[in-house]
Amino acid sequence: MSAPSNHDVIVIGGGVTGAGVARDLALRGVSVLLLEKGDWGAGTSGASSWMIHGGPRYLEFDWDTTRLSCEDAGHIVRIARHLVHRCVFLLPVLPGDRHGLERLETAMEVYDRFQPLKLAQPHARLDATQARLLEPGLAPDVLGVVTMEEWGVDPHRLVWANVLDAVRHGARAANHSRVTGLIRAAGAVIGVNYQAADGTRVEARARVVVNAAGPWVPEVAAMADAQVRLRPAKGIHLVYDRRLSNFAISGESIDGRDLLLVPHGPITVVGTTDDDFYGDLDDVGVAEDEVSYLLQGMARVFPAIRDHRPVRATAGVRPTLFAWRRYEDDLSRRFQVLDHGSGLVTIAGGKLSMYRLMAEQTADVACARLGVEARSSSSSRPLPGAEAELADPAELAREHHLPALAVARLQARHGGEAPDLLRESGARGRLVCRCEPLAEAELVHAARHEQVRTLADGFRRVGLAAGPCAGAACVERAAAILGRELDWSDSQRRQAVGEFLAGAWRGRAALLGQSGWAQEELAYGARRGWPTS
Amino acid sequence: MSRSSALARLAAAYAAHEVRRRSGRGGGRTTASAFETRYARDGLRPLTADERGGLPAMSGCINCGLCALVAGRPGGVRPADLATAYLRDYPLLAAAASDLGPGASMEAAAAACPVGVPLAEVSAAVRRLSG
Repeated sequence: MSAPSNHDVIVIGGGVTGAGVARDLALRGVSVLLLEKGDWGAGTSGASSWMIHGGPRYLEFDWDTTRLSCEDAGHIVRIARHLVHRCVFLLPVLPGDRHGLERLETAMEVYDRFQPLKLAQPHARLDATQARLLEPGLAPDVLGVVTMEEWGVDPHRLVWANVLDAVRHGARAANHSRVTGLIRAAGAVIGVNYQAADGTRVEARARVVVNAAGPWVPEVAAMADAQVRLRPAKGIHLVYDRRLSNFAISGESIDGRDLLLVPHGPITVVGTTDDDFYGDLDDVGVAEDEVSYLLQGMARVFPAIRDHRPVRATAGVRPTLFAWRRYEDDLSRRFQVLDHGSGLVTIAGGKLSMYRLMAEQTADVACARLGVEARSSSSSRPLPGAEAELADPAELAREHHLPALAVARLQARHGGEAPDLLRESGARGRLVCRCEPLAEAELVHAARHEQVRTLADGFRRVGLAAGPCAGAACVERAAAILGRELDWSDSQRRQAVGEFLAGAWRGRAALLGQSGWAQEELAYGARRGWPTS
Repeated sequence: MSRSSALARLAAAYAAHEVRRRSGRGGGRTTASAFETRYARDGLRPLTADERGGLPAMSGCINCGLCALVAGRPGGVRPADLATAYLRDYPLLAAAASDLGPGASMEAAAAACPVGVPLAEVSAAVRRLSG
């Protein structure tokens, strides 16, 4: 056991909320230790719809949530401008739909009142002919389309940007560090025991411990004999290896739920399901019928989706606040900050687009306990990469002998810090993967400065193996690069590759039709012995 | 705000919408071209009907490299790269236009493709969307 470290606050949970709490506190000058048992954003945040949206759906329930979501989305768009992209939704209306064009347009007219809060433009309405010019893959019987703007974001990079900013303001942050227990004295929580990434057991002390563990919140609270009730809800998404359309498209499932197809950078995400979840939070799988449910709903408005094959599926569990009897979709996405009065503060509920507000209010409670009077500045201070203007990608590409596409992708992750990153790594002109395309310099930087410890961390941080090859063409090379940077032995490198491919397989298994299985068999044979773990 | 209050406000908005529409003061319809102009800065250009129809075949590259043996690497970009890397992130293509060298013999490259990726159409789509 190492000597205990001392902090003002320990934050448990490295999703977007925990990272946001750590950043908010660090910006106020509070000393923070942030712990994540897996990788940054590897849980609920990473399995989201990748949307910073205002929640027009909540107009039927709760306009305050819509207003709060839009206000905070506006803050996020400003502080993370390099990480967000405009998503323009086509909301098609088909014969027999629950909402006709007039009702739908009314809802968007109301939503337009909130749109300026998040720097978005008002809706438009197109007839069927014009709508099919915008998206020829829409169903032939579409009656018309109403449009709506939202913002998309790479949640993994958003989480990391918050972690990085916290660290740059004095916080300590450790991923792959699992809290094994809370330290208590005279009924108060005074610290945590955790197992660090290298397996060592560590004790850390703090005056306040923040439980920001998402769906694991009840588990952490129970360590202090506190009870927090959630109604966890599972959501899956299908991921396609390219933009199926330049526009996001809304659909409706067979049971009348809203579904979304959203292009984000070079991929398309289709989701989501919303089902009560009672299983193991550390092993959330995807079932074939969930895939069929999403495809059926989206194919009704966008039949072209049947011509493409998803490359992976993601599954996550929302930490929804507890309520009895309600249908899952009707549950509030509100959040609660709970001061257990024992040095433990829990943040529960909420959603990605309100993460900054959730973090600010949680930090307010922690600061009140600490007697810190500094106010939050997280809504106005830009995240790393958002301060400087972007350099010309073509010019950077020439300077570093890379394709401009690779540089533009890199800028979408690192913003104004891209030139320094490229100059520092020394890996001039080399790509790890041609189909993503990922510059070796970026992967080296991720290993040296972004706490990438596994190939899966590389997938989250820099899109390693996120392209059509799904790692087949690049994972060995990536393992060699990471192995060099992290001092892996040959057997560690082989094990890393095996673990990555086995994890990728789990993300694909529910998606394979007959031809997909044949391709998997071929890949298996080609790799002679994969998967090894 | 309660749910009943939210629904009442939506109902009032719907009534106002219908009054405007029936009195001819409703919002106009947008055309696809006006919409495209509105979002040109974001690189959100629609796919054409031909591109939409051809996209499944254009997405079928297995990255075997035969096309590069036939057509080379115009501007350093292999024909397969156009299908696997470029024809994915359409809004970024304008920033990557400098990667696209002079046109190679995409017909020959396509003829060599063992899975029938229409590389000439891929190249045309990438160039249109990057323009």
